[in-house]
Amino acid sequence: MCECCSVEKDIYLPQTATVQEARILNATEIFVRFGMDDGNFDYVPGQFVEVSIAGIGEAPLTIASSPTFTGGIDMVVRRIGNVTNAIHKLRPGDKIGIRGPLGNGMYPVAEARGRNVVFICGGIGLVPQRSFINYVLDNRDDYGDVAILLGTKDPSQRFLTEELEAWARRKDVIFIETVDKGDASWKGKVGVVTTLISEIKDTLAGAVVSVCGPPIMYKFVLMSLAEYNIPADDIYLNLERKMKCGVGKCGHCQINNVYVCVDGPVFKYSDLATLPEAI
Amino acid sequence: MTTKTISKKAFKEFVNAIIAAEKVIGVQAKGERFDFAELTSADDLRLDYDVTLQAPKKYFLPPCETLMTFEVGGGYQSHIADEPFVLLGVHPYDVVAIAQMDELFSQNNADVHYLKRRANATIVAVDVVTASKNVFASSMKTATTRTGFDILLTDIGNAYVMEIATEKGRKLAAQATATVASADDLAKRESIWKANEKGLNKHPLEVNPEYLGKLLDKAYDHPVWEEKAATCFSCGSCNLVCPTCYCFNVQDDVNWDLKTGQRGRAWDGCLLDGFAKVAGGHDFRKKRADRFRHRLYRKAKYVPAKIDGQIACVGCGRCVGACLPDIANPVSVYNRLVDDLGIG
Amino acid sequence: MSKPRVAIFDFACCEGCQLQIVNLEEEIIDLVGAVDVVEWREASTDHSDEYDIAIIEGSITRPEDEQRVKQIRSRAKVLVALGACATTGGVNKLKNNFDLDDVKRAVYGKDAGKPHLGTAMTKAVDEVVKVDFHVHGCPIDRGEFTYVVRSLLMGKTPEIPEWPVCVECKSKGNICVWELGQVCLGPVTRAGCGARCPTTRFRCFGCRGYIDNPNVDAAREVIERYGLDINALKEKMILFASKQEPTIYG
Repeated sequence: MCECCSVEKDIYLPQTATVQEARILNATEIFVRFGMDDGNFDYVPGQFVEVSIAGIGEAPLTIASSPTFTGGIDMVVRRIGNVTNAIHKLRPGDKIGIRGPLGNGMYPVAEARGRNVVFICGGIGLVPQRSFINYVLDNRDDYGDVAILLGTKDPSQRFLTEELEAWARRKDVIFIETVDKGDASWKGKVGVVTTLISEIKDTLAGAVVSVCGPPIMYKFVLMSLAEYNIPADDIYLNLERKMKCGVGKCGHCQINNVYVCVDGPVFKYSDLATLPEAI
Repeated sequence: MTTKTISKKAFKEFVNAIIAAEKVIGVQAKGERFDFAELTSADDLRLDYDVTLQAPKKYFLPPCETLMTFEVGGGYQSHIADEPFVLLGVHPYDVVAIAQMDELFSQNNADVHYLKRRANATIVAVDVVTASKNVFASSMKTATTRTGFDILLTDIGNAYVMEIATEKGRKLAAQATATVASADDLAKRESIWKANEKGLNKHPLEVNPEYLGKLLDKAYDHPVWEEKAATCFSCGSCNLVCPTCYCFNVQDDVNWDLKTGQRGRAWDGCLLDGFAKVAGGHDFRKKRADRFRHRLYRKAKYVPAKIDGQIACVGCGRCVGACLPDIANPVSVYNRLVDDLGIG
Repeated sequence: MSKPRVAIFDFACCEGCQLQIVNLEEEIIDLVGAVDVVEWREASTDHSDEYDIAIIEGSITRPEDEQRVKQIRSRAKVLVALGACATTGGVNKLKNNFDLDDVKRAVYGKDAGKPHLGTAMTKAVDEVVKVDFHVHGCPIDRGEFTYVVRSLLMGKTPEIPEWPVCVECKSKGNICVWELGQVCLGPVTRAGCGARCPTTRFRCFGCRGYIDNPNVDAAREVIERYGLDINALKEKMILFASKQEPTIYG
């Protein structure tokens, strides 16, 4: 604690965590499970962490596990920059730095109770959604019908396939998957994720809809949802921006007046309607 | 609060006494211009300056600073600068800017690096003697200020009126040989304030600054953004010289042992190409015009929402002078919007 | 983990960038301690064809040099272009503004036709082979060079500024040298040098090459605003930015 200005902690200072599990999922994704060294970590689906690899840097990554799971904190990380490349080299026992959980814009775990829940995921957008999905599935009786739509670029980019198969097998979950471009081995649907929306018309009625995917996807998904008259209040979007500091100071993640790192990263679509930079 | 008068000769002695006791940053000549720098003699102090090259924010949010040190495979250790200093010669508009930054760095997630430096500072403000060629503080209502300083000096000719506003100011002023300010001295100060409140206005804003937020509500798609940004270098000069811009970048570097290192932060600017670009390459504010607009929305709409409506442009005019293609002047943009969109 | 083997090669240049490395003083001990320098003509007699990181100084100006740099590329895991001659062609590209035969005659006189003086248009290294990292500048900035080397040793891509020199110049609190009546290329030139020249009140010559998106319209506007002829800008840009794209030269 700083005596003269009574600030209790350094908001930029990571706490150490230890990697428990690191598993390469495909050419670009790795699954990492870690635990905080001091044990403290309470979070809500939709929150993110700033992950530090000492000497390399820090990157914002959404938590992929649900707080209902107590065996560790999960991330699925695509190698795309310095920090994520370094994360791909992690092995169990390695130390990482963690700041978080961060973000006040979370998934509507309470608001969605008693209602149908629809998840629309594009590619790596499955990762943040998994936190909410697992939360709902771990409290299955609290929610109505559940539908999960997943679109991936091509079969080689699919990941967590054993979990996808488990969802597909469940009787109390509608899981529909597609790829933009198939290959010889792919027997499933081909087409963008929006083509799946018409298949869950019944579940969409009165549902809370949660969307996460690449920037280009939101516009098209929102156009489709408009056709089914889903109110903007019931649509939640998880947005990606450059969340450098994660605490609302550095300015990089701003969407007009909103800081994605503190006001999001999950937003109610109705709250974004006045922000031209959002979608 | 006490108000005293100190002769210029006694003031010099006072400054030299502070220099002997602690670190003093004061305004000095730098080539053809002025800037804040460490002061070694009262003879170098130039309280008659027009505007400094850099804003005093650099003493609280330095252009480049170490936030923490680390050890690969180990933990992180905060690196917090902790040295008291006196900041001597801050103009009222810069005092207002510092007060805004204080609020922004304190609210929600308090930034200990900024606040520790700030707590270590004693701010001696000075009323403007020479108007700079681009100042428009009168328009922004920041030409004078009654708060935000520890001591305020006003040059009344052969002496300074010295208002001691805080305990820190009182401690500092204890070293000064000064008398209680006379009614006459106070009257002189009052007339200087009145003059500055009108006269620091090389670029008059056509509306009350409080109205700017509403004006921008109707201006998002106005052609002025594209027109001005057509000749924007995206050099960030307007951001970097601004006393209220505080965006930053964070970067790691290691020592040659490749085991220990430091994480630093450096000034950044929302006008720079790639400012909103994420790993993977998607740039969320790719167009020059969008970045140009963002700065002026931040100044008059986004930041004010966080600081009780205060406009985050204090009219120092530094950006006007720093912008080579002469597009950065906020007044020329806001006035253009007033002319085109009206104030109704 | 064994130290990466580093080899430094020079092509057409003044070798001043290598000299900057030699001039690292105490830090050079750290540098040669962190890597295994297997070839460095300017500082060592060792020679080896086995290396991980190849550092190329100089531009490619002769057909036989193209072959040599391609061979180096085929052996190196990582190739770094060092200094303006290597990263952009630098001053050597002045030549490309003229007819090659005229250039040869001007330089070599009556010997211009001799086979060992065969010279071609100047190319930056990345016009011949893939370059992984660029260390810009004439000469290079020592601090940036050592940062790049440490980054490579850490397995990370160094963050080289996308923004112009003005950022560093303003961070230093310099007086803009345009105010001093000079035609400074800072607003269109890649930062990373710490605004070395304008800090000494001398205009930026643009030795680090253009930023990714230089605004040529803005440059024209500024020239007009300062009542100068566009040629005042062109003649400054020809030194380091000849035949770079985009350009207002020619």
